[in-house]
Amino acid sequence: MSETTFSIVGSGGDGAVAAGDILSMACARDGLHVIKTEAYGPQIRGGESSCTVRISSGKIYAQSDTVDALIVFNWADFSRFRSEIALSPDAFVLHEADDKAPDEISAGGARQVIPVPFNKLAPKGKNILALGILAELFGLPIGALRAAIAQRFAKKAQAVIDANLASFDRGVAYCDELPKPAKRLDYVKSPSHLLMSGNEASAVAAIDAGCRFFAGYPITPSSEILHFLADWLPKIGGSTLQTEDELAAIGAIVGGSFAGVKSMTATSGPGLSLMAEMLGLASIAELPVVIVNVQRGGPSTGIPTKSEQSDLMHALYASHGDTPRVVLACNDVEDSYHATVEAFNIAEEFQVPVILLTDQSIAQRRETIAAESLEHDVVDRRLAHDLADYKRYRITDDGVSPMTVPGQAGGMYQTNGLEHDEQGRPSSMYIVHERMNEKRFRKLDAIAKKYGKLFTRFGPKKADVGILCWGSSTGPVREAVEQLNKEGLSVAAFVPKLLMPLPLAELEQFIAACNELVVLELSYSKQFYNYLRTQVDLPKNRTHVYARSGGSALRVSEVIDQVKLYAGVTA
Amino acid sequence: MNGYTPQSYKTDLKPVWCAGCGDFGVLNSLYRALADLKFEPHDTVVVSGIGCSSRLPGYVESYGFNSLHGRGLPIATGVKLASPALNVIAVGGDGDGIAIGGNHFLHAARRNTDLTYIMMDNEIYGLTKGQAAPTTPTGDKTKSTTYGNPEAAVDPCALAISFGATWVGRAFSGDVKGTTELMKKAIAHKGFSFLNIVSPCVTWRGDDQHKEIRAKLAALPADYDPSSKASSAAYVSETDVVTTGVLYEVDNKTLVDEILEIRWRAQGDRQPPTRKDLLKAFTPAF
Repeated sequence: MSETTFSIVGSGGDGAVAAGDILSMACARDGLHVIKTEAYGPQIRGGESSCTVRISSGKIYAQSDTVDALIVFNWADFSRFRSEIALSPDAFVLHEADDKAPDEISAGGARQVIPVPFNKLAPKGKNILALGILAELFGLPIGALRAAIAQRFAKKAQAVIDANLASFDRGVAYCDELPKPAKRLDYVKSPSHLLMSGNEASAVAAIDAGCRFFAGYPITPSSEILHFLADWLPKIGGSTLQTEDELAAIGAIVGGSFAGVKSMTATSGPGLSLMAEMLGLASIAELPVVIVNVQRGGPSTGIPTKSEQSDLMHALYASHGDTPRVVLACNDVEDSYHATVEAFNIAEEFQVPVILLTDQSIAQRRETIAAESLEHDVVDRRLAHDLADYKRYRITDDGVSPMTVPGQAGGMYQTNGLEHDEQGRPSSMYIVHERMNEKRFRKLDAIAKKYGKLFTRFGPKKADVGILCWGSSTGPVREAVEQLNKEGLSVAAFVPKLLMPLPLAELEQFIAACNELVVLELSYSKQFYNYLRTQVDLPKNRTHVYARSGGSALRVSEVIDQVKLYAGVTA
Repeated sequence: MNGYTPQSYKTDLKPVWCAGCGDFGVLNSLYRALADLKFEPHDTVVVSGIGCSSRLPGYVESYGFNSLHGRGLPIATGVKLASPALNVIAVGGDGDGIAIGGNHFLHAARRNTDLTYIMMDNEIYGLTKGQAAPTTPTGDKTKSTTYGNPEAAVDPCALAISFGATWVGRAFSGDVKGTTELMKKAIAHKGFSFLNIVSPCVTWRGDDQHKEIRAKLAALPADYDPSSKASSAAYVSETDVVTTGVLYEVDNKTLVDEILEIRWRAQGDRQPPTRKDLLKAFTPAF
């Protein structure tokens, strides 16, 4: 596998992110694999931005720990991202010649620090000029890049397109004067990929799953789901409602679902906190709803633009009372698609609220996906048609009761946040409450049975070190596991995608098959570890925890360091 | 089209309300209104929040939803948008709709959501046993205002008009005939209609409530012009009288109208989009 990673840093107007977009689309066209991440300063508009693009000939699962080339239009902008961008030892640093590089960015060994007169060579298209330089130096698809540039400016005058292509060509030509990197991208052109973000994948999945009603309140980093569905649902006979708050957002979808339409909301931590009470209503009223929660740094307003895995306990236990709900997680962008459809399938079949936990890093990064992988079976709600002796909350073996929807003659019932009997009539009797709790929780058993395969496992069957993680930590863990096994260590990982109910049998089998266990997560208070302890026996003497705050993505090297602490301990 | 009588809309559930509760009058008026409007029970959805009055959906033969405190309107909005052919009626008390649910009242009205919101206004919290509500008159002693209510009261009708409701009326639950007629008008209105029904709580506001309110009843003048917000000003936030009737009524585009228009603007009579169209923004087609 051949790969390379670039970061481009600039101010608003420098086009750092636009350059990353063009580069990613061009690479996707030629069948390369791409992960593109962005970071911004605090300004609403303008201000400094950085864009990192990892390109590979083979499948990749995480952003790279280090960059092979760094483009800096302005060092003051770079200083904000200094802690987020690590240079590889042989990195090429190409910076604006008018702005002297700080002493800490010095050439040495194989590292090159090269002043380039971006402003002089292409005052209006320095980002495009930079792409030309990167393409020529690192062996990127030049034809695809020129086509992507033309496409990017397709709505502008021909002169604008020509000027940008000229800037690109000037960048390519400028490389004659530059030293050459040791490593160039080596790949064979293959069929195109799609390029999309986790939020976009969730929105497309919702449409594919049959969602025709979305209600939401804008919140970073989930709003792209609202944007996409506001644009798309009206085209296919659906509707989107931007509500006054998250209480109303989940209320509206509870109403939409009651009326028989597949309904979804999307939010982030603060919004999920507000939704807690209505989550309990959906649970006791047994109404299918899907809540996508894009995690960000918490508590409170926390760090809205950065990732963390600290909404886990809230998703698992939010709402007072004994409140069955299903919690799903997704590991990457492609998985966001599948997990979203799965969330609808489980919600609709079992009449439960389903929370899909994703996070900023998955939701807002763009990643290449094979178009044919976006396929998933869709399950629809089973409506009751035989209405003789119809009881909306009939006690059944799997806990799923017959259901009617308004408009259906003879199916009238009252639903209720009050405890109720099989007909839906309010009841405060202990025995009714006990039977109804049993019934509602039985659905989780049925879900565990049917969806017990919703986990990912990689590495050898029996391993010296077994990693337990979830969600966006999976990407770096997967790459670390591959690397460590190549180095001769025996490392495996188990990643549940169904978090509530957990695939317990498989999890227990994994724990038994590993000598040392490492629980890895981006939650300071070890939420995943603490949850696992309530569900399975984690042997105390051979279980280790690596938990830290979010705000910076888990790095592959971090995982490797942790595993090496314990590899060989009991071998 | 159907042979329904008020009796047809009764369920076998016995109301939990106290003897003498004004809400019985509201319920009886609703049975009559639904029968007169010839509404099919299965095409009708009654949604409520929490409170004494929010128990009402259980007593109406229809699809019903007794939801969370203050949240009836968002749920009713979701029902209507998901299935616009349904008749959607939201009901609840003054505390439910103005205190905990006040924000939703504003936005359901502002959007001109196609539903009828019936508020049973007893100026008190009944289910939690007698605390002051936003509608409780200043100075009144309640369980939570033992030295007299220090706060100003609001008139739900004044709020509804300022929020942008397109039909606003006031009724007295002791007058079943009058309430029925106002309900029918409210339900027939296209858009967000708000009917505040002064509904005595004999348990926490005193046995004389019915008599006292009846003594204050007044009607709007014959030449009253409900199309002007200005004319309603004299009949909101009343202290010595309770004026019933249609205070405000205008014809505006509704939320469902808007959504249908948006669908037309988005797709018109073009072929439905394909999956390829859906994925276009993510496909490197150049």
